[in-house]
Amino acid sequence: MDEPRDPQLLKGVLPMLVLALLTERESYGYELVTRLHESGLDDLSAGTLYPVLNRLERDGQISSRLVASSAGPARKYYLPTDTGAEQLWSTARAWQQLAVTVDHLLARATPKETS
Amino acid sequence: MTSTRDTLVRELYLMRFSWAMQDFPKDKQVVRELRSEIDVAASEVGMRQAVADLGHPRVLADGYLSELRRPVPRWTTGAVWGALAVGAVAYLAVAYAIGTMDTIGQMGGGTLERAFLGATTTFTHDDDAMSVASTFTWQVLVFYACVFTVPFLLGARVWRAWAKAPVGRPVAA
Repeated sequence: MDEPRDPQLLKGVLPMLVLALLTERESYGYELVTRLHESGLDDLSAGTLYPVLNRLERDGQISSRLVASSAGPARKYYLPTDTGAEQLWSTARAWQQLAVTVDHLLARATPKETS
Repeated sequence: MTSTRDTLVRELYLMRFSWAMQDFPKDKQVVRELRSEIDVAASEVGMRQAVADLGHPRVLADGYLSELRRPVPRWTTGAVWGALAVGAVAYLAVAYAIGTMDTIGQMGGGTLERAFLGATTTFTHDDDAMSVASTFTWQVLVFYACVFTVPFLLGARVWRAWAKAPVGRPVAA
C-alpha cells in the first residue's frame, strides 16, 4: 500500500513537473490536472495547480494562448518559454543530484525490506 | 450551456475567493481566469465537481499569495481597522454627548461649553431646546486622520510594501 504523501514534498517539485509535462505537449489547466493524475499524482487538486500555473506565467516560464473549443468554453493552453525550458533543465539537474544524496542517506538509515 | 444553479455555485465560490484575493496584484485578472478554468473543468466533470476540486476559496487564495513568495500588504484589513477605530471614537463622542446632556437636564438645565483640540462644543439642554453644536479646527481634523491612519497602516502591515522577493529565485515580471 502506498504511504500518504506529504503535500510539502509535492509543492516543491510541482513547477518542475508542470514544465516537464508541458514540454511533452501543450495543455490547458484541467487537462494538466488529469495528466498529473494519470502520472501517479492522483491526490493533486486543481486548486494546487492553478496558483503554480499563474506564477510560472508571471515569471515568464510559460506562455499561454486561447483556443476555441466546440465542446465548451475556450481553453487556455500553456507552453514552456525558452526561460522555462532552461529552468526545467537546471531544476531537473538539481533534483537528480538531490535524489542521489537522499537515496544514499535513506539507504543507510532505513531497514531493508525483506522479500 | 451553464444552468442558473451552476452559475450561482460558481459565482458564490468566486465571490469568496475574490474577497480573499483583494490584496493580490491584478486580482481581478486572476478571478477572470479562474472563472474560465472552472467553466472548462465544468464542461468535463460538471460544475459541482469543478468547484469542489478547487478546495476552500480561502485556501486557494492562500496558494496564490504564497506563490508570490513575498508578503503583501493587507490594504482591506487596514481599511477595516481604520474604520473600526474611527467608529469607536465617534461612538465614544456620541456617548459622551448623551451623558453630558442627561447630566445638564438632571441639574435643572442650562448650557455647558467644553473645548477639545481648539474646538469648542456647546451642549444646551433647557425647557425650549436640546442641542449640541461644535466648531471645527484643523487639530480635530488631524486627530481623526491619525485615528484612521495609524490602525490602517498597522492593519495593512504597510512595511510589507517594501518587502522583496528572496534572492536566488525568479522575480515576478
